[in-house]
Amino acid sequence: MTRIHSPRRLPRLFAWLLFGMGLLYPYRPLQSAIAQANKPVVHVFLQLDAKSSAVEKTLQEHLPELAVTVFGRYRDFEDGLSNGHPDAVVSITPVLEQRGKTASLQGQRDGKSSEPYVLASVNQPLQGPLAGRTIGVVDLLGRDGTQSFLNGLLKATDVKIKRVAKVEDLLPLLEFSVADGIVLPSSMLARLLERTRLAIKTRDLPGTLVGLPAVAVLNPAAHDVVVKSFQRLDAPTRRLLGIDTWSVP
Amino acid sequence: MIGDKNWRVAWVSALLLCVASCATTGSLQGASAQNAAAIADPPARTGARAILIAMPNSPNFVEVRRSLVSELQKNFNIQTFVVGPGTKTDDLAAAIKAADPVCVVLMNNATISLYRHYQMANPTVTTPPAVLLMASFVEELQSQVRRSTGIAYEVPGVTAFVHLRSVITTPINRVGVIYRPVFRNFVERQKSLAAKERVDLISVSVPNDVAAEGLREALHNLAQGHKVDAVWMLNDNALVRDEEFVDDAWRAELTEARLPLIVGVSNFVEPSSPLGTLAVVPDHEALGLQAANLIFDLADNDWQVENHPVELPLSVKTVVDIKLVRANFGLQSEALKHIDKAAE
Repeated sequence: MTRIHSPRRLPRLFAWLLFGMGLLYPYRPLQSAIAQANKPVVHVFLQLDAKSSAVEKTLQEHLPELAVTVFGRYRDFEDGLSNGHPDAVVSITPVLEQRGKTASLQGQRDGKSSEPYVLASVNQPLQGPLAGRTIGVVDLLGRDGTQSFLNGLLKATDVKIKRVAKVEDLLPLLEFSVADGIVLPSSMLARLLERTRLAIKTRDLPGTLVGLPAVAVLNPAAHDVVVKSFQRLDAPTRRLLGIDTWSVP
Repeated sequence: MIGDKNWRVAWVSALLLCVASCATTGSLQGASAQNAAAIADPPARTGARAILIAMPNSPNFVEVRRSLVSELQKNFNIQTFVVGPGTKTDDLAAAIKAADPVCVVLMNNATISLYRHYQMANPTVTTPPAVLLMASFVEELQSQVRRSTGIAYEVPGVTAFVHLRSVITTPINRVGVIYRPVFRNFVERQKSLAAKERVDLISVSVPNDVAAEGLREALHNLAQGHKVDAVWMLNDNALVRDEEFVDDAWRAELTEARLPLIVGVSNFVEPSSPLGTLAVVPDHEALGLQAANLIFDLADNDWQVENHPVELPLSVKTVVDIKLVRANFGLQSEALKHIDKAAE
């Protein structure tokens, strides 16, 4: 049993209280890549069932030939693309397409290279037209891009969007009743249901499959090492990325 | 008219919140304006309306601003006015006049107080819509600052409870909280939110001048009388006033009760000196995104700010004392994937 009583370190603790409340060290993913010189730089931006830091640590361990940086937020990813000059990027198809990138490796799960998204709400599924509804979604493509992405998924044009930074931030939108529903990949639904005791109901979004994570190599000189490295990833790491195998398009 | 009680509520925890928000991340040395880097606004574009951001120049505020600016700069010109201890109401008034902003963003209680004095000094002037951020009790402040809305800085209890459930294996159905009278409204709001996630929030009131013994009795009452599954420590410096107080009240009772403690201060999660099990703190970068969304919403609604309720913060970061959890409460199998910092 761990003891809870104090070894009388509270003077330091109180100094930290006054100078440390509400605070964590800021996550600075870009720096880790910069430190790994002479390796192809790979930027990863995905909605996953794990913190970006945990994914980054795992990928760095399993891809020692590459300098991997995992971005948890769109703006950081965007800045990284502009300033970090990656040799390859890993993201879902809409993100790659927005950037005009072509996949060199396409992730697959259960033999499919795309997945449906669902519209989740509390107590009852959101039925009927969605015009005027407020819908939460993770910021995958910036303000305009995410709005277009959501419009495409919902087949509507006047949906009010609530962008959040991380997939876990979707749940508070429902808890606080600030959104009528949230849109998320079907693969993320189980985690949502694990976390909440809200009565979550879903509505399928037919005809709207979104591509699974893919690797786009931007620097031809790095193509082989990037592709081979990702192809060698073990099954647990592939599962962490939300896929079970890679295919070459 | 500004209610004394409401302002007292705001200032009771303002010291804790605002001093903390001036902190240097992960450093004991702290930081203040003298260490702060200069803030550079993006180049102004002809024809774009201005957003004026009034804020202290310290790391957490700068982090929120960075995210906010990255979202807004394509649509607005950004002008930043740094507020320091010597800033006067007239300085802020001059900045507003020069910027002619379509909206002002006010960060921290001191900045909001300046703006409030500016409004009081200019009762007939139509002031721009104000977005209040990173201040204590923004819900109470909204009614006291004309044409304002904002985002609360206090992390809702329900957010912390849901995170705790995803970390430990012991059930969390009843959570205890001790509060002083000035926190009554805040605690009451938390009860209805917690109920949505089927958590009963059991509250026990203590006097403003509660002694360590009284606080320990209240904790004992929660643990033994109400049989709570966890305790939530509010960010109220009167309840953690010094080391001896924490030792004699919180640590002594929680040692005996063996209950997980949720805190709002990451430094209370320290395996070498166990106290907090889980710290849930604001995610400042995400707060910037949320504030930007709020401003876009206001713009879409012709800046009808009065109709926009104060929002609750959507995003947090978590610190967990893994050693304490493993020893006492059981660690969920996937927990390490979902926390920001595992302390052990």
